[in-house]
Amino acid sequence: MEQGYLILSTALAAIGGALGIRSVHRGERSRWTIVWMAGAFLAQLAFLTLRGEHRGACPLRDLGEVLAFLAWSLTLFYVCVGPLYRVSLLGVFTAPAVVVFQMVALMPGVLDANPQHAVHVDPWREAHGALSVLSYGALALAAVAGVMFLMLNRLLKEHELSSGLFKNLPPVRELVRLEVRLMTLGFILLSAGILSALLMRELGGRAHLLAAASTWAAYGALLAVQAVRGLTPRRLSEVAILLFALSLTVFAFL
Amino acid sequence: MELICLGLNYRTAPVEVRERFAVGTGKLDAAGRALIASGAVGEGVVLSTCNRTEFYFAARDGEAGMAAARDYLRENFDLRAGDDGHFYELHRRDAALHLCRVASGLDSMILGETEIFGQIKQAYRIALEAGLTGGTLNKVFQRAFSIGKKVRTQTSIQEGATSVGSVAVDLAEKIFGHLKHSQVMVMGAGEMSRITAQSLLSRGAHSIFVTNRSYERAVELASEMQGQAVRFDEWQAVLEKVDVVISSTGAPHTIVDRAHVEAVRRKRKYRPLFFIDIAVPRDIDPAVGEIEEVYLYDIDTLEQLAGEARKLRQKQIEVCDGIIHEELGKASLPGIIKREA
Repeated sequence: MEQGYLILSTALAAIGGALGIRSVHRGERSRWTIVWMAGAFLAQLAFLTLRGEHRGACPLRDLGEVLAFLAWSLTLFYVCVGPLYRVSLLGVFTAPAVVVFQMVALMPGVLDANPQHAVHVDPWREAHGALSVLSYGALALAAVAGVMFLMLNRLLKEHELSSGLFKNLPPVRELVRLEVRLMTLGFILLSAGILSALLMRELGGRAHLLAAASTWAAYGALLAVQAVRGLTPRRLSEVAILLFALSLTVFAFL
Repeated sequence: MELICLGLNYRTAPVEVRERFAVGTGKLDAAGRALIASGAVGEGVVLSTCNRTEFYFAARDGEAGMAAARDYLRENFDLRAGDDGHFYELHRRDAALHLCRVASGLDSMILGETEIFGQIKQAYRIALEAGLTGGTLNKVFQRAFSIGKKVRTQTSIQEGATSVGSVAVDLAEKIFGHLKHSQVMVMGAGEMSRITAQSLLSRGAHSIFVTNRSYERAVELASEMQGQAVRFDEWQAVLEKVDVVISSTGAPHTIVDRAHVEAVRRKRKYRPLFFIDIAVPRDIDPAVGEIEEVYLYDIDTLEQLAGEARKLRQKQIEVCDGIIHEELGKASLPGIIKREA
């Protein structure tokens, strides 16, 4: 039943992404992507709620749940940010990431088939998991905006301005602003997540702690350099994508 | 009633002829009144733009109406021998088709331009308010507006920028979004720089710096655009704060080199910088475009992009004409059906 919701959510995101790509190729605005993604979001929510009830705790106890929570967080930020910034194309780029995360979560053995009900629940542990994964949603969306910038930058540099993709991409300045704001939000949430971890009754493994601290420090340094010295939009985007990819190693040490 | 269009445009008449038949917006109602004064013409709308002057009218007897219109031209304009050859005369369905093509921008000098639609609406509104229209012209013009809208929304006839200036402005918006927070530096006080800078201003650019070898010319252009003149040996300091540079000097060598931009990158905090080089020979070293946050477009690239958009619009003509014929065929308009004559 729970997995059915996750499958449904994956299908909705895949359809939304595919229809969005088709619109972009035709040079039209992908205005329905937000609706498909909102549907995917609700299905994710149903999955996580049921899973949470089974666990009797925040559903972040196995890699499948973490990936589903991450996909939910990414979709949440897209659904909030997309219409606010009128970045309809963001959904076309977000949908594939959601599909990939959830496909991996749905692979045999990744989601615990019989989730055990938690005996002891440490609220700080719950807060740490939820805030950290939520921060990853914002950081993932910043990376998605980074990919969009790199594509727009290439088209502008090479004077290839006739494609539907070019017409639909938001302006350079808006993408860069979006990247910085999402990374700042992600950094704040991650900081809160790490602070919660420090208050846990039992700290996690040393490798996990090291990976999380490194991620936090790297994003902090990136934002500080951007604010104080400035970075070229290309460098900022490349680092945002690279950092997000590297930061996923945190989940390997759960 | 018979619908008739008598007019001249940029294709049939040179500017020195067109200007003799131009009617100012404030005089359109008086011109319409004079057109129908004879009584042979029942309804009249006068359309006058820089590229055309057209008289749309409805007459119970087409021949008598045409004769009255020619008398009107003789009496109200400086009609000279040979001017007849510049005029075209369209009747019934041909006149309605022509109006629809004009409203759709298919008859414009810049194919698909949008201004003409507003100009026809204004001409019609003036005639309507002056009581110069009736059952024939009201229906024909309303139909032409709905067809014009359909053509523009269902085809790519107004897609893309078709002039160097508009391509540059579109690109600036693609880089900076709304231009209200963008500052512009104009290098060289030539006509092209002025037009491009004014387009940027009209889209919201909030401050303009003008630099020129002749400081007086810079001051002149700056005051025209409510900007600030900068001495030619001080432009590098301005480069630190601007977002867009339009260059069109007559210098025989490049003015902006890579070193100039490299020197201000740090102070600019590596913000995007858009160079529009419309000078020949070029003012900006192509190596400037290799800098990560710099977007450099020269006159050839801008012209090529404008040309591509023009070609795309040309390809749409057939589709647009198809829509016009189909939509006009659906309507049973007064003034275009023979039996009504």
